[in-house]
Amino acid sequence: MRSVLGFVAGRYLLGLRRRTHVAAVSAISFGAMALGAAALVVTLALLEGFQSTIRAQLAEAGTHAELRPRVGRALPEGDWLARLRKRHPELEVRASAGGAVWCLGPDGAVPAELEAVDTLSRIEVNRVLAARLGVGAGSEITIASPRLVLTPLGPVPTRRRVVVGIVNPVQPGDDRAVVFAPVSVGAALLDLGAPRRVVLRAKDPRQAWRVASVVQGEVPEGVEVVSFAALNRPLLAALALERAMIGFGVALVMVVAALNLLCNLALLAAEKRADVALLTALGMTPSRVRRLFLLLGLGVGALGGVLGTALGGVAAEVLDRTHALPLPRGVFIVSHVPFRVTPASVAIVLTVSLVAALLASIAPARAASRRDVLEGLRYE
Amino acid sequence: MGSLARITGCGMSDELVVAHGLRKGYGAGERRVEVLWGLDLAVAHGEMLAVVGPSGVGKSTLLHLLGLLDRPDAGELRLFGIDVAALSVDERARWRNRRIGFVFQFHALLPEFTLEENVAMPLLIAGEGHSTAFAAAAELIEEVGLGPRRSHFPDELSGGEQQRGSVARALVAKPELLLADEPTGNLDATNAEHLFGVLRQLHLSRRLTSVIVTHNEALAGRCGRTLRLTGATVEEACSKT
Ligand SMILES: Nc1ncnc2c1ncn2[C@@H]1O[C@H](COP(=O)(O)OP(=O)(O)OP(=O)(O)O)[C@@H](O)[C@H]1O
Ligand SMILES: [Mg+2]
Repeated sequence: MRSVLGFVAGRYLLGLRRRTHVAAVSAISFGAMALGAAALVVTLALLEGFQSTIRAQLAEAGTHAELRPRVGRALPEGDWLARLRKRHPELEVRASAGGAVWCLGPDGAVPAELEAVDTLSRIEVNRVLAARLGVGAGSEITIASPRLVLTPLGPVPTRRRVVVGIVNPVQPGDDRAVVFAPVSVGAALLDLGAPRRVVLRAKDPRQAWRVASVVQGEVPEGVEVVSFAALNRPLLAALALERAMIGFGVALVMVVAALNLLCNLALLAAEKRADVALLTALGMTPSRVRRLFLLLGLGVGALGGVLGTALGGVAAEVLDRTHALPLPRGVFIVSHVPFRVTPASVAIVLTVSLVAALLASIAPARAASRRDVLEGLRYE
Repeated sequence: MGSLARITGCGMSDELVVAHGLRKGYGAGERRVEVLWGLDLAVAHGEMLAVVGPSGVGKSTLLHLLGLLDRPDAGELRLFGIDVAALSVDERARWRNRRIGFVFQFHALLPEFTLEENVAMPLLIAGEGHSTAFAAAAELIEEVGLGPRRSHFPDELSGGEQQRGSVARALVAKPELLLADEPTGNLDATNAEHLFGVLRQLHLSRRLTSVIVTHNEALAGRCGRTLRLTGATVEEACSKT
């Protein structure tokens, strides 16, 4: 039953003889669909290339997971933290406790958060604090705690003079001023108590996304595991939004191609009016006439989409491998425009082109199947 | 304009086509044209009926009704003993495909398919495999004398050859009823004679029931019976063949 439709559709598309302009016109539709699909594949590959670089950078620099108390300010007591460290040598585990302090530097006094980290042996300040204090690595600062000590001069705050070891980068949007200190320094200034926060990092940054799920089952009831995705939600959401919006914009090319396909199918249906009438007279049912035109539309649209996807995929791969598009040095984190073709984006493009071709074929196919037979037979 | 008929056939029973009070008109309102005004008709098994009449009298209209290409406004039409009003769209399509062969007045062949493919088309539509369909097509093409032109396209064939191809296609699915609308209309005398010969021979060898519309009185006279449509009445004549 299928074969006669394929036979007739194939002959119309290839246009072996005469009426070659129909073949030419369907070739244009085919090309438009292919071009649309190729553009979409290359765009998605480009976005994925840039975004995966950004995500890799994020994993390289930042925290991979965080453990926080579900209620209160301190994590539960117990040896679970020690066990976690022992069981996962592939993770860096930094437990910290702390509180509010004042930091004094050349530019004055700044309120800051002190984090006493158990794995730390020197003082670290984050970039916000460094900027506010006007200090850098090697500078001397004073940390003052709210804890008062009674002296002959009356109660005065506890203070420590320390040397800044390193200035840490900050996550975008984080404007807290933080000083990280070894536990010994922290304990001298504040009542530390149990750790308030544990920061986890995999030694292999590619594992960043898995860290939260790895430790999830191994922490006590009252501990919340915040995953890499949750920690970086605003940035990741922005990236996803960017991909969706640009993808959608470029997908409009497919809509234009599909409209072109629709016009050409309508033209084909008009030109084959007499043929369709004759086929109907010879016993082809209206529903099979409709399927004939759906097949024509899908033949042009889906094949164009598949070809375009393949071409676009190959083009993106080649551009990526050959580093054909260099970027200015020092401005970007990568030296060449990266492309990455993922199975998901290929699936998206194929689906979009199939659906577009199908939607474009429905109306002309319906129209062709509803024409009056006798009118078609008389029409020359 | 109209034709009131009182046709009963020439003493034959066992009718393949029976029509009672067939009415058909076109358009609506002021532009309404009544073409058939309650036509009665019976065509017996194996009969070869010629339909003649002036242009515009409704010969094609009648043939389209018999060929299930159109529906009457009123009246009853029974083909093969079955009231065709009861058939679904798909059943009508199947009958056109398998039980009725139609030779059209215009536009006989699909221009983008070879003669062979054109002739095989009804079988392909019926879902036959390509090899069966093309074998049957080749046989019929041979029978109508177009063997050497099998793989030619319609525009490479003469009018007469195209028309013979049309006849081959009408018969490829082995129908019982053959309807031909002025098959010799555009042909010169020699070609018309040739085509009519082919039709007659196939009519006899395949035990068909045929209804042939023609302007050619001489050829009509050689059919078993002639139905003469005039504006108002229908006359009939029987001849012995
Ligand atoms: N679709 C239509 N709309 C309006 N009028 C029509 C239509 N089809 C046919 N007619 C009219 O019906 C009448 C009969 O037409 P028909 O084609 O049956 O004549 P015919 O006897 O076959 O003529 P010819 O010998 O020229 O082929 C004509 O007057 C024609 O104008
Ligand atoms: Mg006519």
